[in-house]
Amino acid sequence: MAFRFLHSSDLHLGRAFGGYPEGIRNRLREARHGAIGRLAAAARSGGAGVVLLAGDTFDAETPAPETLRHALRAMGDEADLTWILLPGNHDSLAASELWRRIAADGPANLRGVTDATPLDIAPGVWLLPAPCTQRRPGRDLTEAMSAPTPPGACRIGLGHGAITDFSGEEGAAGIIPPDRAVRSGLAYLALGDWHGQMQVTPATWYSGTPEPDGFKHDIAAGALLVALDGPVPTVTPVATAQFRWRSPQLDLLAGDDVAQRLTAALPKTQARDHLIRLTATGRLPLADRAALEAALDRIAPDYGWFQADLSALSVVALPADLDQIDHAGALRQAAEVLLAEAGDPALSQPERDTAAAALSRLYALAQQVQA
Amino acid sequence: MRLRAIELTNVRRFAGRRASLTGIGDGITVLSEPNEFGKSTFFDAIHALFFEKHRSAKGPVKALQPHAGGAPEVAVVVDLAEGRFRIAKRWLQRPQAQITDGAGRMIAQADEAEAWIDRLMGGDLAGPSGLLWVRQGVLGMEPDGSSTDDKRERERGLTARRDLLSSIAGEIDMMTGGRRMDGVVDRVAEALARLATATGRPKAGGDWARAVDEVTALAGEEASLRPRADRLSGDLARRAEVQRSLARLTDPQEAARRAEGLHQAEAAHQAAQAHQDHITQAEAARRLAVLDADQTMREVERLQDLAARVEQARVALAQAKAQASSARSRSDDLGLRDRTAASVAEAAAATTRDLRQRLAGATRSRAAQAARTQAAALQRRLERATALQGTLDANQGQRARISVSAKLLEAAEKAQAALDLARARAEAQAVTIAALPETGAVASIAGQPLPDGPQPIYAATDITLPGFGVLRVDPGQARGAEGAAEVRKAEQALERALASCGTDSLTAARSAWAEAQRLDASIAQALALMAEVAAEGIDALRSALAKATAEAADAPDTTDDADALTAALGQAERAEDEARAAARAAHDLAVTAGEARAATQADQRTAERRLADALDEAGDPAALAGQIADLRSRLPALAAAKALADTALAALRANAPDLATTTARLARAKGAVDQAAKDAGRAREDLASLNATIAALADEGIEERLSSLTESRAEAEARAARYEAEVRSLIRLRRALDDARTKARDAYFGPVLHELQPLLSILHPGAHLAIDDTSLLPAILTRNGQAEALDILSGGTREQVAILTRLAFARLFARAGRPVPVILDDALVHSDDDRIEAMFTALHRTARDQQILVLTCRQRAFAALGGERATVQVDVV
Repeated sequence: MAFRFLHSSDLHLGRAFGGYPEGIRNRLREARHGAIGRLAAAARSGGAGVVLLAGDTFDAETPAPETLRHALRAMGDEADLTWILLPGNHDSLAASELWRRIAADGPANLRGVTDATPLDIAPGVWLLPAPCTQRRPGRDLTEAMSAPTPPGACRIGLGHGAITDFSGEEGAAGIIPPDRAVRSGLAYLALGDWHGQMQVTPATWYSGTPEPDGFKHDIAAGALLVALDGPVPTVTPVATAQFRWRSPQLDLLAGDDVAQRLTAALPKTQARDHLIRLTATGRLPLADRAALEAALDRIAPDYGWFQADLSALSVVALPADLDQIDHAGALRQAAEVLLAEAGDPALSQPERDTAAAALSRLYALAQQVQA
Repeated sequence: MRLRAIELTNVRRFAGRRASLTGIGDGITVLSEPNEFGKSTFFDAIHALFFEKHRSAKGPVKALQPHAGGAPEVAVVVDLAEGRFRIAKRWLQRPQAQITDGAGRMIAQADEAEAWIDRLMGGDLAGPSGLLWVRQGVLGMEPDGSSTDDKRERERGLTARRDLLSSIAGEIDMMTGGRRMDGVVDRVAEALARLATATGRPKAGGDWARAVDEVTALAGEEASLRPRADRLSGDLARRAEVQRSLARLTDPQEAARRAEGLHQAEAAHQAAQAHQDHITQAEAARRLAVLDADQTMREVERLQDLAARVEQARVALAQAKAQASSARSRSDDLGLRDRTAASVAEAAAATTRDLRQRLAGATRSRAAQAARTQAAALQRRLERATALQGTLDANQGQRARISVSAKLLEAAEKAQAALDLARARAEAQAVTIAALPETGAVASIAGQPLPDGPQPIYAATDITLPGFGVLRVDPGQARGAEGAAEVRKAEQALERALASCGTDSLTAARSAWAEAQRLDASIAQALALMAEVAAEGIDALRSALAKATAEAADAPDTTDDADALTAALGQAERAEDEARAAARAAHDLAVTAGEARAATQADQRTAERRLADALDEAGDPAALAGQIADLRSRLPALAAAKALADTALAALRANAPDLATTTARLARAKGAVDQAAKDAGRAREDLASLNATIAALADEGIEERLSSLTESRAEAEARAARYEAEVRSLIRLRRALDDARTKARDAYFGPVLHELQPLLSILHPGAHLAIDDTSLLPAILTRNGQAEALDILSGGTREQVAILTRLAFARLFARAGRPVPVILDDALVHSDDDRIEAMFTALHRTARDQQILVLTCRQRAFAALGGERATVQVDVV
C-alpha cells in the first residue's frame, strides 16, 4: 500500500508584516495561522496522515508565546494527523528555547525533530531528517540522510536549505547536492526554504510556503500531496493560500487606453484578498497620467493592500495638455518651465523627477480650479 | 473685432419690443440718450451675450428678463478679420445660441456657438480680448454657485468693482493668471501647509511630521529592544555552550580517567617522599662526622693558641716596665725647668711696672710747666679785651641816640628846596607892600615892625602906621592865595622831614649825620680789634685762663727724664714678653711629660693583668702540652669517618626521583578532579540562570516584536520619503508659479505704461503713473515732480486715470492686431469741463485704431466729444 503524506514548509508563523497598515497586517498574520487548518484539510482530503513541515514553521527563533501556543494548539486540534516539524534556518536548533517549549508543550501528534536520527514514522517508512543546527550551518547537513535503516525500508529525506542559492541573481550552486535523493537512497526528498513551489528532480521537491508572504513568487501557493506508490513518487500540488501577492507592471505609452490597460493588469475578483504592488513605466501625456492617478486612487481601496509606483513613468506634455492648464499667461509659462526642467539632461534625475511631479500636480490643480 | 449693431428683443424695458442700436462707426460712437432710456440695458445685454451661456439661468441672465417674463434675446453684428458675423443668444425659454455669417449662413449653434464665442473672447495676449468695459461691469470671473461662500465671494468682488480702478485689477489679474492662478497657488499653499512649515520642515501634526515622528519613535523602540534581543540570542548561544561543557564535565569516562591519573600521581609522590627521607638521614650522619673532626681540630688549635698567649704576655710586661721608668725620669727633669722659667718671668714683670710709674710722673711735670706759660698769655689777652669792650659800649650808646640817616637827611634837603621854590613863586604872585617911613616912623604889622623892602601880602593884613592908624591891605582871592597855600604845604613837609631826623633845623640835622658817621667808624675799629684779641669771646677767655691756672698748680716733684724713661720701658717690656714665652714652653713640656708618665704606668698594669689571666687559663704548662699531643693523635680516624659518610650521601642523591615534579603532578591531578567538580557545579548554576533569563525573554516574543518594529520603521521611512518628495515638488511648483506670475506682470506692465504715457500727458503734461506690484492698481501719479498716492486724489482724477489705463490696454490689443471695442457707460461723471475736454482728446487719440462706444445721458457735456452718433430704433415684435 502506498504511503501518502503532505509536504509543506516555510509557514513563518508569527511573521510581523510591520511594514503594512494595521488592518491588512492582522489579516496577513491570521492567514498564516489559518494555513495550519488548510494544510490539515488538504492532507485529510488527500488521504495523508502525516504532514511534513520542512523547516521555518516559525519566523523567529523566539516567537511570541501566543504565536507558539496557538500553533501548537491548532496542530493538536487536528488529532488525526501527525505533524513532523523540522528546524529550518529561521527556527534552527540554536533556538533551543523554542524546541524546548515545543517538546514540553507540544501535543502528542506533533514531533519536533531535533537531531538527525532516522525516525520510524510508519510501518516500513523511515524519515531521515537534517535539522538546521544554526541559521547558517555552512555545511551539507543532508549527509546525515545516508544513515542506515532496516533493509527494504522506504526512506524519506526531510531537509531545509538551498540546492541553488537563490539569494543571488544568477542562482549559484547551494550546499545541498541536487542528487541527494539518489546518493542517500531516498524515495522522496522533501525540502523547504524556497517559498515558491519547485521540482528539482522527480523525487526532490520544494513545497513552497502554503501562504505567500511577499511579492517574490507570483504564483498560487500551496502544499504537495505525495504518494510513494512506485519508482517515482506521485506529487500533487494542492492550493492552500488565502492571499495573492501580485506585482503587475504597466509599460505605458501615449495613445494607450490607460483605463483598459489598468483593468487588464489587475485581478478581476477577490480584490480584498490581493496585495498589489503596481509599477508603471513608459511615458504618458499629462492628461493620461492624471487619469491614471485618478483611477488608481479610485480602485486602490478595493484591494487588501495597494501601492502604485509611478516614479518610472515619464511625463509627456502635449500642447493640448498644456492648453488645459492654460492657453497662455503665467500658468502656461510655469507649466512650460517645469516641462523643460523635467527633460533637461543637465539636471540630476531627482531634480527632473521633482519637476515632473510638480508639472503633474499643476495639471491636476488647474483642472480642479477650472472645474 | 468691431461692433456694428446691437439688437435687444424682449429685454427689460423693451418687453415685447425689439431695440436696435445701429450706426456704430470704426472710431468713437456716442449713444446719447436721457435717463431711463435703457443705455445700461444695452451694456448688460452685450455682456451677457459674450459671457453667459445660452443655457444659463443665472442672475445676470434673469436680470435681462422683463417683468412680463418671456425669453430675452440679444444679438450683435461684429466685423472680424474673417468677415461679418451675427452672434445671437436666447435665454430661459427655448434657449439658443447662433452664429451666422454676413450672408446669413449658419456658422455654429448651441454649444458649438458657445465654443465659437469662447475662441473669439480668448486672446493672444495672455488673457481675454473681449470688450473692455468701463462700468461696474461683471466680467464673468466671479465664482458661480449659490453656496454661502460663493455669494460672499461674489459680493466681495462686486463691492470691489464699484471702484473703477478695481475693474482694471481684474483684467490685469486675467493677464497674469488671474483667479485661476490664485486658485492653483492657494491649493499648492494649502497642500504645503498641510505637510510642511514655512521653512520646508515637517509640520507638527501633518502627515509628513507624523511619518518622521513614527520613524523616530520606532527607531527608538527598536534601539531599546535590540539589546534585549541580542542578549536573548547571546544567552541561547551561551546556554548551548554551557550544556556542552556540562556534558563533558559529567561524562563518566572522563571522571574515571581523572581518578586514575590522581591515583598514579599519589603513588609516585609517596615513593619520592621515601627516597627523600633516606637522603635526609645520610645527610645527618655526614654532618655528625664532619662535626667531630672539626671540633677536635678546633680544640688543638685553641690549646696551642693559649700557650702562645702566655709567652707573649710575659714579653709585653717587661717592655711596659722599662717604658714607665724612662717616662718618670723625664717628667721630673722637665718639672724643674718649668718652675725656673716662671721665676725669671715674674722678675721681668716687676721691672716693667716700676718703669711705667716713673714715666707717668715725668709726663705730668712737663704738662704743668706748659700750663703756666699759657695762663700768663691768657691773662694779657683778657685785660686788653676788657678795655676794648668799654670803649665799644660807650660809642654804641651815643650812636643809638642819633636818629638821622642819609636817606632822612636827603628827604629834608628836598623838602627845604621845595619850600624855597614855593616861597619864590608866592612872592612873585603876591601883593607886596613896602614901607618908606619917614623918620622915626615905624610901620608895624601885628606889633612887629615892617621890614625894609617889599613885603608880600597874602591875606588881609592890618598895617599899623603911626600917626595914621591902621591900614588894611587885602589882596583878595585873585592874587597870592594859591602861592601862600603851597608855601604852607611845603613848610609842613619840611617840618615832618626834620622831625624824622630828630632835629628842628636842617643845619642840626646835617651835624647829627656827621657825628653818626664818626661813631660808626670808631665802633668798627673797636670790633676789629676785639676779633683779634678775643675771637672766642671774653667769657671763653676767662674759662681757658682758669683751666690753665689749675693745670699749672698740679705738678709733681721729679727729675726724671720722660724720654729716657720711655726708651727703658720699651726695652723692659720686650724682656718680659720673652721671659713669659719661655715659661709657657717649659710648662707645656712638663705637662706632656707628666701625662706620658701616667700612660706608661697604666700600660704596665695592663700587661701585668694579662699575664695573670693567661696563666690562670693555661694552668700547668706541661699538662697543657700533653693535652695538645693527645688530641692530635685522634685526627686521622675522624677524617676517614667523614669520607665514608660523603660517599653514602652521594650515592643516594644520584638515584633520587624529582619530588617537586611528583608533587606538581599530584597537585595537577587533584586540581583536575576538583576543578571538574567546581566547573560542573558552576555550569549547573549558569544553566539554571540562563534558563530563567531565556524563559523570561522568550515570553516577551522579542524577536517577533523586533521584526515588526524594523518593518514598520522601514515603511514609515518610505512614507516620510514620499512626503518629502511631495513637499519638494510642491515647493518647486510654488516657485515656478511665483516666477511665472512675476515675469508675466513685468512683461505686461511695461507695454501698458508705454501706451498709457501719451494719453496721460494729454491731461497732465509730463506726468508719470506707477503701478503697485501687489495690488496691480495704478498707485502713484507724479505731476510736476510731486508724487501723490492715487487714492488721495479727487474722484474725477481717479476716474480719468482709470479710463486712460483702460484705453492703454485697448491700444495694446490693437497693436497686437486684435482690436477690441471699449464701451464707456456713463463714464466721466466726475470730470470738470477742462478735464473732460482733455479726456475727449485722449479718446479721439485712441480711436484712431480703436472702436469706442460711449453711452451717456449727459447730452450737452458730450456734445463736444464728436464722433459718430448712434441711434436706437424700437419696434414691436
